[in-house]
Amino acid sequence: MKTLFLSTFLGISGLMILWVGTDGGRAFTAETARRLEVQERPKLVPIWHLEDQNSKILTLSDWANHYTVVDFIYTSCTSACLVLGSELQSLQKKFELALNDNKLRLLSISFDPEHDTPERLRTHLSHFSGDGEHWVAARPTSLAERKEILDFFKVTVIPDKMGGYTHSAGYHVINPHGQLVAIFGVEEYSMLQDYLSLALSKEGIDES
Amino acid sequence: MKVKYQRYFPSFAWGLLALPPLRHILESSMVTHMLIQLPALAFVGWWFGQGFSKDLTRKIALWNQWGITGMVLVVITMFYWMLPRALDAAISEPVFEAAKFFVIPLFIGTAFNLSWSSLPPIAQGVLKLEFWATFMRLGWLYIVLPDRLCANYLLGDQRILGYILLILGSVWAVSWALKILFGIRWRWA
Repeated sequence: MKTLFLSTFLGISGLMILWVGTDGGRAFTAETARRLEVQERPKLVPIWHLEDQNSKILTLSDWANHYTVVDFIYTSCTSACLVLGSELQSLQKKFELALNDNKLRLLSISFDPEHDTPERLRTHLSHFSGDGEHWVAARPTSLAERKEILDFFKVTVIPDKMGGYTHSAGYHVINPHGQLVAIFGVEEYSMLQDYLSLALSKEGIDES
Repeated sequence: MKVKYQRYFPSFAWGLLALPPLRHILESSMVTHMLIQLPALAFVGWWFGQGFSKDLTRKIALWNQWGITGMVLVVITMFYWMLPRALDAAISEPVFEAAKFFVIPLFIGTAFNLSWSSLPPIAQGVLKLEFWATFMRLGWLYIVLPDRLCANYLLGDQRILGYILLILGSVWAVSWALKILFGIRWRWA
């Protein structure tokens, strides 16, 4: 009787822990969990100071009143960042109207501020024909800030044993109120497009 | 005197595993994290259970008839720590790291020690088979998945772990088959 009681109790509480620990069976990996989290509870992005490709200091308040798509890169990257870059490039083409209307901005943040000087960021942008005005590349101004930014977005960056990094790759969408509202993986690029089309049409911008 | 010292061995081994040098080394790769650190922690818990007095074991057995309660605990805990998310959390969040160092020794190692031998043979067989199948399933999954499961580990690491799991599982299956078919026994089996 005692055994039945205790093992049922443990079994049920264990299942409950598994349920809560996976967000109701929806998130088995940390990556899914972070996407789910912002989707359900948008987070206000704190104010940071970033240095852009022209050595100009940006703050997040500069980004208010428009949607911003953020990706994380380092300029010596040979894998994920190239995909991210070329997809932002097509995004730049597709949403030209919204960009010119200041309803949408693209921002590539480097997590390798020691190597990624403004000059290298400029090269990175030109590589993908980024216009440097509506698509900006920037780096954190200090290592402490770098950590704060990565922690906020829950982006994990690990050395890849070949001198580079492996990192969570995705598109982070910040809305006009400065809230992080969605994260799309590289494989979810078409979902990102749909999301932006819908969001921008609500703002009165129609992309064909 | 000797017996008295031996009681502290598990705690000593636990402390060693928890100290930064060894902990960081083992957690730096998915392979050592899953195949050395976690089993070592479970072993420490099993060892700790060896030191329980007869009186205490008897009291626990009242709540653990045929080892059922203990095995429920073992299985659930293993499920939880097989989540890639849990493994990531153990690295990036200190609370989860601390929890791992208590939960795995006690809920897997100690619980296993106090329950396995009283478990009916059929239940033992089912659990063994299921455990083996998990090895093979995970091994296969880690090899074929194009994406990283853990944000803190490289894809290459995940693949290596997959191959090791499949190799270990196969060795296990072969030794098992030999035992069943020909009655060949290894001393440790």
